[in-house]
Amino acid sequence: MAERDEPKKGIFQVFKDIVYGMSSHEMTRHAVRSRASMEHLFILITMGDLLGVPILPPYYSLRLLPYVTPQISTWKRRMLRERDITDTIG
Amino acid sequence: MSLREVFERHPERRYIMFGGKGGLGKTTLSATCAYWLARQGKRVLLFSVDPQASLSDIFQQDIFGKGAVPIVENLWAQEIDADRRIKEYQDEIRQKILDMYGFDRVPEEIDSYIASASAEPAMEESAIFDAVVDIVVKGDYDYYIYDLVPLGHALYYLSMAKVYDEWINKITKLREDMGQYDQVAATLRRQDKVEEDKILQELQYIKGRINTSSQILTDKQRTAFFFVLVPEEMTILDTRKAAELFARFAVPISGYIVNRVLPEELRSGNIPTYLKNRIQLQEKYLGDIQNSLGSEIMAYVPEMERDVTGLAMIERLARQLFEDSK
Repeated sequence: MAERDEPKKGIFQVFKDIVYGMSSHEMTRHAVRSRASMEHLFILITMGDLLGVPILPPYYSLRLLPYVTPQISTWKRRMLRERDITDTIG
Repeated sequence: MSLREVFERHPERRYIMFGGKGGLGKTTLSATCAYWLARQGKRVLLFSVDPQASLSDIFQQDIFGKGAVPIVENLWAQEIDADRRIKEYQDEIRQKILDMYGFDRVPEEIDSYIASASAEPAMEESAIFDAVVDIVVKGDYDYYIYDLVPLGHALYYLSMAKVYDEWINKITKLREDMGQYDQVAATLRRQDKVEEDKILQELQYIKGRINTSSQILTDKQRTAFFFVLVPEEMTILDTRKAAELFARFAVPISGYIVNRVLPEELRSGNIPTYLKNRIQLQEKYLGDIQNSLGSEIMAYVPEMERDVTGLAMIERLARQLFEDSK
């Protein structure tokens, strides 16, 4: 738990966090989510071979492989999982 | 204009390519041309982008995968060992993954991807393509002479540059959009700065490499592309088609070289009917070539009485091609 190690927050900081939570947290979440979708799209375009979808010659996509290595397993799960109607909600 | 005049009038054309169907003498002519330029005091690198290269055979010296090997003064020759390059490249990628994440070994899934990606046929072409960029970027030589692969491959090589370029543009755009979302999230959270996108840098690097190569191939100032053909019906037809395709890719065609012309003195002697027919046929095709290409023909190269291998033979051909045909 990272929060426990943090120094005690001042009243001003608490107030700032509350305002952030009320106003822009939702927007941030949306931005981060869109970013994650694009990340997966990016990996699909460059590393399509991993799912058996060869999209482009692999010489240069190998160059990018080290950077996306940690995301590969979540990406594969997301791409290959079954989908239903609830996916479109939220 | 003769081949010699082309080189004398356009010293800025440093990238010389010979293209044509397989087995027409592209390697022979590239070697001859490289040899002659080296004799004129220019520093020349002759290199082969063909996985089944034959420079070793023509110079009667094993140069495969040994880098730029000196042949005579001012002349170096190189055959790219694509397999070894791919292997080194794979190891480099594996090492990078280990270094970046402190793994003891590359995750199996990733490792099998690296292995399978390298088995694809496009891998070899791309590796050679990339090696060529390394060679020409260094710029150590006055002339770079490409011993190209047969026509189909050469076209593939050219179109690949175009496809790569467009592909990279698209994903670079996507990556930049992703950066904007990062920026939005960071601003909303009041973080000062976003981490630099290493992938974007990598993409820009790749784009730079591809552009270097395709720019050279289509550069009217610095590139001279010669078509090699022989006086035979099929070759003439194929060459015409190929020339149209190359024009579509904006490759500057500097001229044509007609190879394997049966020497005229044969006609005067008492020769068998078979040979007489061949000579008559050839005359007809030479006429066709003259009519359709005319002033674009740079040289007629006679059929030699033996194979052109070894320096003595190359020198003889160079004299024919550059000195006598004036």
